[in-house]
Amino acid sequence: MRDVPLEAIRDSFEGIMPSVIATTDAAGMPNLSYLSHVHYVDSDHVALSNQFFSKTAANVELRGRATVAVLDGRIGVQHTLDLVFESSSRSGPIFDRVSAQLDVMASLQGKSHMLKLRAVDIYRVEACRRVDPVIAIDKPQRAGVERDLLAEAAAATAELTAITDAETLLDRSLEILEERCGFRHSMILIADEEGRKLQTVASRGYPHFGFGAEIAFGDGIVGVAAERRLTLRIPDMRRSQRYVSAVAIASGLARDDIPLPAIAEPQCQIAVPLISGGRLSGVIFAESEESFAFSYAHEAALEIIARQIAASLLIFELTDAAGDGAARHTAAGGGTDADRTFGFRFFPRDGGVFIDNDYVIRGVPGRLLYHFVRSYAETGRREFSNREIRRDRAFNLPDFKDNLETRLILLRRRLEERGGPIRLERPDRGQIRLLIEGVPEIRVVEG
Amino acid sequence: MLEDDVAAFIAGHVMMIAATRDEAMRAHIGRGCGADFDPDVGDLTLLVSATQWPEFCANARPGAPIAFTVCRPDNYKSLQIKGQIIDVREATADQAERGRRYLEGMLAVMADLGVTRLQLSTVLTNADLVAIRFWPADLFLQTPGPGAGERLRSGA
Repeated sequence: MRDVPLEAIRDSFEGIMPSVIATTDAAGMPNLSYLSHVHYVDSDHVALSNQFFSKTAANVELRGRATVAVLDGRIGVQHTLDLVFESSSRSGPIFDRVSAQLDVMASLQGKSHMLKLRAVDIYRVEACRRVDPVIAIDKPQRAGVERDLLAEAAAATAELTAITDAETLLDRSLEILEERCGFRHSMILIADEEGRKLQTVASRGYPHFGFGAEIAFGDGIVGVAAERRLTLRIPDMRRSQRYVSAVAIASGLARDDIPLPAIAEPQCQIAVPLISGGRLSGVIFAESEESFAFSYAHEAALEIIARQIAASLLIFELTDAAGDGAARHTAAGGGTDADRTFGFRFFPRDGGVFIDNDYVIRGVPGRLLYHFVRSYAETGRREFSNREIRRDRAFNLPDFKDNLETRLILLRRRLEERGGPIRLERPDRGQIRLLIEGVPEIRVVEG
Repeated sequence: MLEDDVAAFIAGHVMMIAATRDEAMRAHIGRGCGADFDPDVGDLTLLVSATQWPEFCANARPGAPIAFTVCRPDNYKSLQIKGQIIDVREATADQAERGRRYLEGMLAVMADLGVTRLQLSTVLTNADLVAIRFWPADLFLQTPGPGAGERLRSGA
């Protein structure tokens, strides 16, 4: 019999302190072990990561039973669960999610070699009992009504479906996430399959926007969410001591990189892949200075909104690809070009662009910028269209599903944040106008 | 079997969990509120709230087995001690005072680690303490990692 539904205690499964598992051996001696996470499977089952606790594993194999104590880090209430072992799994969606979660935690703690998941054990929950405090040593401070995040997500998607262009969608979605769900620091990163990287295209709640800042697939919570196509959440980063340096490593910061938007002391992070039509277009990420700021309900709300963002981005791409906005091929002249020259270096290997020795961007946005600037230098052209870009094989755009519009947004924003001498304007839907102050001295660096 | 280093570790600012088991071999978890090693006799006394952990305490009977784990909250260094219960009594006034001091000390230590009193409402409880005295037979390293569960000493 179930006293407490598992859904009611999901936030206890990743508590402020490790959960405790107790078993009994052949001689009748109890054994205790700590668990980093208890994973919710469904209303009758939980999964435990079986990594180290060999005595526990032996006892479970013998008796088929375990007792687990979990603590809700937000309100201090514990629950004890009576578990019956059902199966062990080395693959599948539960295994993948637990494995990804552990990999992120391990990389944050600098122990990636230690925490490789071997299997997840699935248990049926026979009983779930609440352990109330017999003496309240403190009272809950947040007595207010919790937001109905399902209703907020519905309202958010309603507003997002009314938006008709990608740029408004990107910015408005981050605003809505703050207004409706309380995500105060967030960003959207666009996947670049060529470089296996993600690039920041929109951000909110940071000291700088960081447009173009990169995270490699597989690095940190954002990179792992993209690589495995899984939602990941770290409720309490205090449990990892070395996260600051780890975040710097995960960001892949190097000499020529753009700093990733960051808050000083993140305690809670979440990353949701943007997937539509089976294809990953990017990742939406949010973080907070407050531990346990994002619950399972926040995670579900963000997933709903993320799917709407991904679907809308795909629709905009399809609409754009089907449109016939041809370039107007405006000739040079009448511009505001100054006489000064500036260096423009392009690296075909990774699409990297440097202006006067400063890194600007790489990947597809870099290839686009090179195309615009070269065309301008050769013919004086300033006006380009999405349509011609899609037709040009030189950009390595395999088909219409290439996030062209979001890449152009990213490129325009990166150039804007950088502040000259090159800027982009979007005079009309599907149109791009190049603004250059000075004369580019283009050099293509092979190798 | 408990030498000075282990006794000192237990007497430090450590979180305490313990397990007993019932006739059906189902384990029951309780959380400790202080422990004391008697070097003259060689046994350990664990204080647990009977009202907070009724099932654990109901199965803490003389002759019954018990597992006891202590963990430093700042580095997760942990030890597990297993043994047989000698007797269970209501805590004396001295023991209750010891439990109170342990609770206050741990609240301060945990506050330094960013864990609030609210979060510890059911973890640290000194209501209706019982003193569970047991003979430590085995000592295991329990720090999470590949070495967890390694037997360090056996007095059995």
